[in-house]
Amino acid sequence: MSSRLGGLVLAWALGAALVAVMGGPRIAAAQGQPVGTAQNAVGTLVIVRTDGIEHRLQGKGSLPLYEGDVLRTEPASQALIQLRPGTPVALNEKTTIKILSRWDKSVAGSGTVRILRVSRGELWAKAGSGERLLEVETPASVVSGRDAEFDVKVGEDGQSALTVVQGTADFGTPFGQCAVRSGTASVGARGAACTAPQAANAAAAIGWKQAVSQ
Amino acid sequence: MHVTQTARSTRFALAAIALAALGGCAEMQGKEAEEPTRPRVFVANESSNTVTVVDGETFTVVGTVDARNHATHDLAVSRDGRWLFATNLASGRLSAINTRAMETVASIATGDRAHVVTLTNDNRQAWVANIGDNTISIVDTTTFRILGTIAVGKGPTGLTFSRDGRFAYVSNQGDKTVEVIDTASHRVVKAIPVGTNPHFLVLGPDGRIWGTNTGGTDIYVIDPATQDKIASINVGPSPQQIAFGFKGLQGPNAYVTVAGLNRVVVLSADPANLRILEQIDVGQRPNGISGNREGTRLFVVHEISNDLKVIDTGSSAVLATVPVGRKPIRVVFHGS
Repeated sequence: MSSRLGGLVLAWALGAALVAVMGGPRIAAAQGQPVGTAQNAVGTLVIVRTDGIEHRLQGKGSLPLYEGDVLRTEPASQALIQLRPGTPVALNEKTTIKILSRWDKSVAGSGTVRILRVSRGELWAKAGSGERLLEVETPASVVSGRDAEFDVKVGEDGQSALTVVQGTADFGTPFGQCAVRSGTASVGARGAACTAPQAANAAAAIGWKQAVSQ
Repeated sequence: MHVTQTARSTRFALAAIALAALGGCAEMQGKEAEEPTRPRVFVANESSNTVTVVDGETFTVVGTVDARNHATHDLAVSRDGRWLFATNLASGRLSAINTRAMETVASIATGDRAHVVTLTNDNRQAWVANIGDNTISIVDTTTFRILGTIAVGKGPTGLTFSRDGRFAYVSNQGDKTVEVIDTASHRVVKAIPVGTNPHFLVLGPDGRIWGTNTGGTDIYVIDPATQDKIASINVGPSPQQIAFGFKGLQGPNAYVTVAGLNRVVVLSADPANLRILEQIDVGQRPNGISGNREGTRLFVVHEISNDLKVIDTGSSAVLATVPVGRKPIRVVFHGS
């Protein structure tokens, strides 16, 4: 028993030493660990892996998603995905996003901040608390949400409209920051700060996601 | 007397330019307040995925920072010397390095083939050119969030800002142009044809923009007043990067690493009178070059011999050769 325990201690020590020598985890964009699943598609959701391989989801399913994946919905298509740990995201039609992350030592837990980079279209997300911080990047702005439910719509030239359904989201452009609260909306356009939040009909803004959420 | 005063004022301007090259006019926000840093030379080692930190006075290696990414390529240091940003070509990411702790504290996904990084003049943003995406990512240097992107031409490889910060200049390998971006609107306002495979860009001591055509044999100068290419000169095959300095009273001079010659070519930095003054033999395939604020020391890194040479501009003599990591590409200096 004691020799077995000694072996375990030795193995643990060797493992710890190996981690120390390797300098800790490397931040590679490897596709080894799923970061979520695609759960439903009205029409077709196209998933393009980092090696160019394409998968398609039609209807309900459970397709694993990896960092670096590009997700695309076509006209008249919508999709629902679930990011770990517990962040639902819906994509409206004609939407393209890329799944990314930032590692930041100052962020509690694993230090990973999940990022969705939207090049076109519209998404809804419900970001949770703690490690479930979510950032949504658009060509002209960034939304950072924790304990917040929001909708982001990207238009011509990257102009982005943020509507917050619940909680508060930080909205930033290269020219300024806004705190956008529940029931209000702001716009971020190229070359300008985000507009002062105005009252908005949040329920109407996310009405589009009813079909895919069922 | 007149010569001395001119040299002194130009020297002052060079010091200001060196500071501007380090990234701007204001302190970065937040973070800890501590005593001044010692002069440091930072070297990006592409095949080691590291940054070598060298003492700027003793020329000894004081540390090696793991960039926690792949193919560490370009560097930009904050004005206060506390933050170093490194692009990583293969990862498409920017590493944020705390220079006091000599530790990477954040890894930011910018875009495919993140090539070069430059800090805005107020140091609040890091602009990163992504060759594979044909974009510039704008990174908040405090929160490390990406605030936006700007679409540019094919294969952006060089990036610098004008003295007043009103314009950013981006060299595009694929288009053979330098694009001018209005920083107030984030729109491209002009594309200037410059030559074959333009690469490195830097702000010169008189406020002009200097660039290398790495696919050719020449360097060129752009005047921000007219947004035109106003001068060029052949320096040899595969010119890489440019720094500025003095040789005693002579100067400011431009020092160009010419990879095909294994030399640093020394030029008059007067665009109206560009001429080669001297050629300094260095190591194998010189690439990165940087100068100290006073313009008396040059730091040159060599991709094949994997070392850093310290050159005294007054005598053109090599003062020290420091082994660094594999395939060093970029070197930046901070301190006086």
